[in-house]
Amino acid sequence: MSNPTELLVRESSGLMVERLVDRWAEKYGDRITGYLRRPARAARHAEFPAELPHELREALERRGVERLYSHQREAWDHVHAGEHVVVVTPTASGKTLCYNLPVINAVRSARAKALYLFPTKALAQDQVAELLELNKAGALGVRAFTFDGDTPSDAREAIRVKGDIVVSNPDMLHQAILPHHTKWAQFFESLRYVVIDEVHTYRGVFGSHVANVIRRLKRVCAFYGVKPVFILCSATIGNPQAHAEALLGESVHAITESGAPCGERHVLLWNPPVVNPDLGIRASARSQSMRLARHAVRAKMKTIVFAQSRLMVEVLTKYLKDVFDNDPRKPARIRAYRGGYLPTERRETERALRSGTIDAVVSTSALELGVDIGALDVAILNGFPGSIAATWQRLGRAGRRLQPSLGVLVASSQALDQYIVRHPEFFESAPPENARIAPDQLLILLDHIRCAAFELPFNSGDRFGELPVDEFLGVLAESGVLHNEGERWDWIADSYPAGAVSLRSVADGNFVVIDRTDGRQTIIAEVDYGSAALTLYEGAIYMVQSRPYQVELLDWIGRKAYVSKTNADYYTDAIDYNKLKVLDRFDGSNAGQGTCHHGEVHVVRHVSGYKKIKFYTHENIGYGPVTLPDQELHTSSLWWQLSQQTLEQAFGSRQEALDGFLGAAYALHTVASVRVMADGGDLQKAVGSGDAAWYAARDLRGRGQWRRADNSAATTQDSSEFNPTLFLYDNFPGGIGLSEPLFRIASTLVSDAISLVESCECSGGCPACVGPVAGEDAAGVSTQRERAIQLLHLFDA
Amino acid sequence: MNITEQLRRLRKDLGIAPIVASPAVSTQETTPYAEALRRLLRTRERAHPVKLPPPAGKTVAEGVQLVEHVHAYEASDDVVLPRDEARIDRRRLLCFDTETTGLAGGVGTRAFMIGVADWSENRLRVRQLYLTTMAGEAEMLRLFVSWLRDDTVLVSYNGKSYDAPLLKGRLRLNRIAHPLAELAHVDWLHPTRRVYRGVLPNCKLSTIERDVLRIVREDDLPGAEAPAAWLAYLRGQSSRGLARVLEHNRQDVVTLMRLGDHLGELASR
Repeated sequence: MSNPTELLVRESSGLMVERLVDRWAEKYGDRITGYLRRPARAARHAEFPAELPHELREALERRGVERLYSHQREAWDHVHAGEHVVVVTPTASGKTLCYNLPVINAVRSARAKALYLFPTKALAQDQVAELLELNKAGALGVRAFTFDGDTPSDAREAIRVKGDIVVSNPDMLHQAILPHHTKWAQFFESLRYVVIDEVHTYRGVFGSHVANVIRRLKRVCAFYGVKPVFILCSATIGNPQAHAEALLGESVHAITESGAPCGERHVLLWNPPVVNPDLGIRASARSQSMRLARHAVRAKMKTIVFAQSRLMVEVLTKYLKDVFDNDPRKPARIRAYRGGYLPTERRETERALRSGTIDAVVSTSALELGVDIGALDVAILNGFPGSIAATWQRLGRAGRRLQPSLGVLVASSQALDQYIVRHPEFFESAPPENARIAPDQLLILLDHIRCAAFELPFNSGDRFGELPVDEFLGVLAESGVLHNEGERWDWIADSYPAGAVSLRSVADGNFVVIDRTDGRQTIIAEVDYGSAALTLYEGAIYMVQSRPYQVELLDWIGRKAYVSKTNADYYTDAIDYNKLKVLDRFDGSNAGQGTCHHGEVHVVRHVSGYKKIKFYTHENIGYGPVTLPDQELHTSSLWWQLSQQTLEQAFGSRQEALDGFLGAAYALHTVASVRVMADGGDLQKAVGSGDAAWYAARDLRGRGQWRRADNSAATTQDSSEFNPTLFLYDNFPGGIGLSEPLFRIASTLVSDAISLVESCECSGGCPACVGPVAGEDAAGVSTQRERAIQLLHLFDA
Repeated sequence: MNITEQLRRLRKDLGIAPIVASPAVSTQETTPYAEALRRLLRTRERAHPVKLPPPAGKTVAEGVQLVEHVHAYEASDDVVLPRDEARIDRRRLLCFDTETTGLAGGVGTRAFMIGVADWSENRLRVRQLYLTTMAGEAEMLRLFVSWLRDDTVLVSYNGKSYDAPLLKGRLRLNRIAHPLAELAHVDWLHPTRRVYRGVLPNCKLSTIERDVLRIVREDDLPGAEAPAAWLAYLRGQSSRGLARVLEHNRQDVVTLMRLGDHLGELASR
């Protein structure tokens, strides 16, 4: 299939990758802590199934598909046998044919219908474009439509009636389709396939919601007398089959061997140089990523830079634009891409990437999924994304089928990052993490049983998934939303329950960012409720495509932030803290000389102010106050405590003990995060009194500080009682099932944390073990690191 | 603080009434949630509702009451439909209006009352069906469907967008075949808007009725209070509100016939 020009391109691109690696190795050899080469993989083909209709085969041939890859054939065979399947293959391996073939065949032969669910609108639109092309190639007469929040209401009726394949997302299924299922009666009556792509993204809170939406979907399907086959696709995770089965609540056949070819992949692990050996301080990942991206773009390699936060996307974009886009007459070469941008802007960036008109894109995890952005050469990860699975997923955005590609993981000073780049053998052999969901989480379950009751009445003794629902129905009846008559439980309230349940976050209501520069009123971005307090406080610099805007007014109730353009030479970073109070103990055990418990806690998160940070120098040039409502959370947690007596015997002072707690919390949080595929901030840590009387935070030098509940400074002598508690907690109302399994392995966590801190190469403590420590301690005084080790040993059996 | 308290905080927005705490012991099947739910279930044991006698009508099926009224209504045998000025036999008209459990939309909203008015020989017959138990819904819908003939012309006010889709959804849910999609349906809302938009403060049926048709209602129950009135009856608290809903609904379907004549008159002027 390859023609000479293609070959030429491939070779030169391969040479370019190697040349760049050689140059970096020569110049910065000591920063490269690991160099992995994943060999190219040849294609494994399979013949078209004999039962594949002629026209479909011709359409494929016209699109350049002459044979199937082995995994596509395997999917066809199992789907035809009526099994649910999950296909786990890399980006660009042709996984869409795994579901499009059986679906199009069923649409044509039996006028069957199919529902496709993607986690984002962008992916859904890609999919429809691809379907339409295949359809056109063979004049197949298959009608595929997207159905999402942007679908005009006059088009909806036609889609419900005429759509063979409806491409949507879980949120729409939850809020618009299931609660109106009678309007979709025709569709449901013929529904034969449900395709759910990117199922690895359905984990944690979101995944637990989606599993319940699937339960509701199956319930509605049963009402219409259909039992669709589910075809799931996932990026590489540790437990694709178990995860798919947890989502579906049924057994699923897993297809894990890709037959698609894959170019050679070069991966560098990059540790920024040490700038202060005593304190273990390294140059920032940002400075390194910038340098690497500059080199790559100058070497004419199409580059993607992944940043961990929306703020960092804007900062990196600005720096790259300052280098490459300083001539306003020329078209932009650098673009930013992240959630919060308006859809049109994102579509435009995707198009520009596909057509190759821009040279680099800086993105959050938003481009981690299979959005079609064409072939890229280099992926630079500014910081470890938090999981092995996500790292490979991001590295996979560079390189398609036959071309060699280059990926660089640039470590930040965070403990996890440092652990990964200092243990390249671990990174190379580490299996991708397991995706976890907790579909039976009480609050989530109650939400979806409420929605399910709205959709179809329950009968006493019914089950939702595997669960008997009687007790839930009782609760809902008592609160007046259900009416019980004999065996039947009917929805009775004047409300639309799905409207009040958001799958992706707890509190609903995105904030819109309104630019009112020069008297305009233009919406320039959207921010989810959870991050609003951290990014839209009055005085904040909010950046869009690296243009800074200043927040002038935040209307918390109206969910609006009014901004105007500014020329500020700084950006802002919020200062927040959490205080915790134990509400209930579920279980407890001894932990060395102390105890470890698992139970329920009340968390109050408070944003107290913000720092102004100057571009380029990153010096802190001032503070500003923030007055926003506290955000409260009831969740599950595990915590460690020691008696005051033990602490007084072990430590010379309360200060030393508190430092030990803070360092131990840092290390325990790191090792616990490695154990669970916790998404970003799903797992949090805190040190406090356990009754919210005080909490501890680090000062600028990394030493422990007491703070009273009102955030005023306190001293060690303030109270005769000294009861520090070390918390790890689920950052979700009601908990999301992280704390309980962590409690079960609490002693392993303690020994892991001890080995992490003891084996660190620093002297007194560093971001890789007990957290950042600045300034030197006086001679003869124990270091932060020693205090943490001492404390952890008290919890070690 | 327990989960009940937690729920109360989290659920403020979700339209659930606060749970009233008082001890109760669950004897139901034990699940992994039994413990947590038991705390949730610390709710007042609702006394078994007293079944109140229906405020009007006769029982035509389990849980379904039928109320009939006949009004003198002198009018021509033909009516003029406003848009195309077609003349049709007045006896084909079936004016209908539903009272529902709410305005939230979606399959969970249902009609608890259906009123219809039809005409023959200078008499307007009003028939109203309403539910006295949830279980009566399917029978009520079947009775309503049995009143539809092949040549029936449905008449409503905003019924094309609201009442008809809602009834179709509930019929589908109860697996009852029906001809609603095939029947002619005239919705007076649209011709009314064409005439009175900008002339009257709004085009609500009650406004048209008062300012144009000069119909005065006494002690009318606002439509928005209908769901609560029916719930109060269903829960054995009071049947007075439901009686007022019946009166309100009866007035509405009578007005539909009058409004048609008024619009027809304007059209033929």
